This record gives sequence, structure tokens and C-alpha cells, in this order.
Amino acid sequence: MNIMDSLTEVFCSIFEDNSIVLKPEMTANDVEGWDSLSHVVLILAIENRFKIKFNQKELLTLRNVGDLLHSIESKHPVINKK
Amino acid sequence: MTTNSFAYLVFVGFVFITFYLVKGKYRWSLLLLASLIFYASQKAPHLLLALALVILVSYYWGLRLKAAKKDRKKQLWLLSGILLNLVFLFLFRYLPAIVSTTPSLSSNPNWSFLSGLLTVGISFFVLQAISYLIDIYLEVLEPERHLGTFALYLSFFPKLIQGPIERGSDLLPQLHRPYQFDYQNMRRGLWQIEQGLFKKLVIADRLAIFVNAVYNNVQTYTGIPLIIATYLYALQIYFDFSAYTDIALGVARLFGINLTQNFNSPYLADSIPEFWRRWHISFSRWILDYIFKPLQMFMREWKQWGSAIALIITFLLSGIWHGMTWGFIVWGLLHGIYMAASVFFSPFFKKLFKRLKLEKNNILKVAQVFITFNLVSFTWIFFRAKTLTDAIYVVTHLLRGIGSSLRQLLRSLIPQVNISGLTKFIQPYLLGQDNKSILILVCVLAVALLAAIINARSKKKEFPLDQSTFIRWGIYYLLVFAILFLGVFNSYQFIYNQF
Repeated sequence: MNIMDSLTEVFCSIFEDNSIVLKPEMTANDVEGWDSLSHVVLILAIENRFKIKFNQKELLTLRNVGDLLHSIESKHPVINKK
Repeated sequence: MTTNSFAYLVFVGFVFITFYLVKGKYRWSLLLLASLIFYASQKAPHLLLALALVILVSYYWGLRLKAAKKDRKKQLWLLSGILLNLVFLFLFRYLPAIVSTTPSLSSNPNWSFLSGLLTVGISFFVLQAISYLIDIYLEVLEPERHLGTFALYLSFFPKLIQGPIERGSDLLPQLHRPYQFDYQNMRRGLWQIEQGLFKKLVIADRLAIFVNAVYNNVQTYTGIPLIIATYLYALQIYFDFSAYTDIALGVARLFGINLTQNFNSPYLADSIPEFWRRWHISFSRWILDYIFKPLQMFMREWKQWGSAIALIITFLLSGIWHGMTWGFIVWGLLHGIYMAASVFFSPFFKKLFKRLKLEKNNILKVAQVFITFNLVSFTWIFFRAKTLTDAIYVVTHLLRGIGSSLRQLLRSLIPQVNISGLTKFIQPYLLGQDNKSILILVCVLAVALLAAIINARSKKKEFPLDQSTFIRWGIYYLLVFAILFLGVFNSYQFIYNQF
């Protein structure tokens, strides 16, 4: 499973919607229920899923799903190559 | 020179004509000069010193932050830059306030001079400077290399005293763009200025007379008059602050600059979080982006509890930003508690309303708006009351005697309509104002409500600019006459001028 698929799984379980299809340019406005409160739960779930830890700077500059993906990849080059 | 004075209008006219006549690259120098003159006209020589300190430190620190290679170094520049700005804020804003309200200090000649250092506007441009440094650190903004442009970014006179608090990425690019005369923008700007003057002089300052009658002397009132005065204050602070913002945005437009819209019908919000997305937007965005989010992420392991604690801290700091008095602190804390409570309750209510299929129910929506307005109005008691003791008095006496008042009302209306009984009943609730003043207030509030409805219904939200010449100019003149004949010229300061 590549990063995008795993990330989609996390999104689907957090926002309780199995029809979510992630695209890099998607923002919080495109996903129902993605607000500043559910964002924390999402970040925590992603950190647990990929066994990574984001730093403050990364978290404060995420603009869209693409940025999120990029941050995860930068911490998991091995997964990325699979 | 306050921005609702005749002198300010003349000043703006003069600056605009000169701005229009001079050549391209001198235009921004002229605006900077005008901003410094405007600030100096606030009659305290140290104002320019405070402004210059904030400008020079933030300019230099911004460049060094960008140039630093290692993240540790960047952090050091960021933290020291923020700290220095906070020191300036303390020296020119909090320390003078503390000295002048502490009798033992204000009577001591070694300390009393400090009270004269109070600097209007510094709370606004210091926040702007801090956001500039953080944005450079986060690499979402390039530092401004031209000192003059940077100085204008912090000191642009329409927004210098009371905001909006502009982000570098919003305002700096506009200061680099060559000015082009745009008739439509000019019309919009002038109309916005006119609306602002109307809101301030005709509505807010009229409301102030009623509110002050009660709030300057709360102990002489109980029950309904306290409730009326509190609702009227909720309206006053909205009209007052949004009037300043209208004038600021309108004046900036004359120079081809678009500032951030600070208000979006805040009292139509259906929840407290929604209220904060509509009230003093440039400030709420600031505290959410630079205080709440980092705190929330820092405490993310604690999930909802982390968010709730982050919200309480954020709004407590927002209260302290308004002033180091108990009233503001309680005001901030109350909003923090509301916001924290909504972290826990709002998902529950959302699910409940969804299950009951009430999501789009209009009655529910009206009820939510009404409850939100009351929750917000309740916090204004602490914001407005002169002391915490006064605020507690108001809170504990708000509902006193309401039952007997209502019984009296029923008795005066039934069994037969009894005009003299009704007049006698209403008398105490007129807050000691004469009939003429009340009639004017009711009429202008009705006009404001009507305007809000027309604007909400029109698609382009450009009423009356999209109307025929006849209607348009009719409205322009109507407003001018209303300002001249119904305006209150007590030269009340804008409420947010004190912050």
C-alpha cells in the first residue's frame, strides 16, 4: 500500500466517510468535517499510522493534502519507493 | 486628530490630491510622510519613537531571520524579535497604564512620568510586526528589503491606530504595485467612509448616551434598564468599531489599497466559534494562527482537552491584550470557556440535529443566533463596566424585579389599553433620555437594520452603488444630512482607540 492509500484510509476513518478520494490540491474546505478541531485528531492519527512526528513548523505551514503528503514522504523515504 | 473628525477628512483630501499629483515612485514616500505626520498629530512626541523602534527592530530582525542558515539560529532571531516587540508593548502600553491606575506610583515623581508614555496604536502595529516575523520564520513570506516600504506597511495611517492588523502577504505586495486611478474603487471608498461616519456619529455615539447613563452609574439601576443598556452596548461597540474599520478601508481604497474586512455581520453568528469568525476578523485570525494553533498542536496528545486548554489560554491572552484590568481578563476568560465548551458540545449537537433532521430548520437557526447574541452580550458587561465590582453588580441585578415589572406591564395593558399607565410603566426604562433622542435612536437603528437586510438580499452586496443615479445620490445626501442633523458631536473617542 502506498502513502496515498494509507493516508486515504486515515481520512476515511477520521471523517467517517468511505467515499473520500484524496488529491494533492485538496484543502480543509473540500472535506466535510475537516475543521481546526478535527485537524488535531487527524494529525495524531497520521503520526500513529506512519510512526512519525511532525514538528511545529511543518504543522503550521500545511496548506493542503499535497503538503501533508510531502511532509510524510520526507520522513519516510522507504515507504515512498515501494 | 481622530478619524471621525472634520480635520481628518480635510487631511485625507489634501493627502489624496498631493498623492494624485506627484510622480509614481514618490507616491509611497508621500504616504509614509503623511502617516508619520498623522501619528505625530496625536500630540505626543514619543509616539514616533515607539513606532520607529518597532519598525527598525522588525525590519532588521526580518532580514537576519531570512539570512540565518540553521533552524536554531532562525528560532533565536524569531524569539528575540518577538520578545523585543513585547518589551516595547509593555513599555509604551502596559507600564503607563499600570502607573496611572496605581495611586502610589502616579503620585511618585520618579514613576509618574511613565504614565505619559502611553502610545495609541502600538497594540495594533506590534501584533502586525510579530506576525511579519513569524511568517518569515514559517517561510510563507519574504522579508521586505526596502525600509521605506516596510515602514509604510506598519504605519499606513488609515489603519495605524486601530487596525485592521494586516498580514505581510496581504499588504506588502500592494505597496509595491504602481497606483492606478480607478473610478469604481474611488466611489466604493467614498461610500464606505460616508457609511462609517454615519455609523459612528449617528448610531454609535447616540447609543453611547444611553449606555453611559446606566454604565457610569450602575448602582442606581436594577433589572430591565440594566438589560437594555447591555444590549445597547452590544450594538454600540459593533457600530463604533465597524465604523472605524469602514473609514479605514474607505480611505485606504482612495490610494488603491485593499485592507482586510474586519466584520461580517457578527451578531448573525449561530455559535460562539462562528462569532469569532465574523468579529474583529484580523485580530481573531491573528490569535488563532499565532497563539491557538501552535498551542493546540503542542498539546495534540491530549486531543480535545488540549484544544480546550489552548482556547482558554488564547482568549485569556486576548483579554489581557485589551488591557490589564480584571474586566478584560474576565471577558477573555468567558470567551475562552465558551469556546472550550463548544469543543465538547458542538460535535454532540451536530450529530443530534442531523439525526432529528433539524440542520436546516429556520426556527432552530434563529434560536441559535439569539442564544449566541445573548452569550456575547453577557461578556460585554465585563468589557464595558468601569470596574469588576460594577460588572458583578450588573450581573447580580440583571434579573432582579423582572417578574414584578412584567406583571406591572400586563396590568397596564389589560383589561383595557391604558396609555397613561403604559407611559408611566415605560418611564424608568428610557434611561433618563428625552423622547426626541429615543425617537432618533429607534429610527436610525431601523434604518441600519433595513440596510443590513437589503445588503444581505442583494447579490453583489453593492447597494446603493448599483442603483440609478437618482436613488444613489438621494441616499448619499440623505446620509450627509442625517450626519449633520442627527449626529452626536460630543467628540467621543472610538472605543478601540484605548487599546
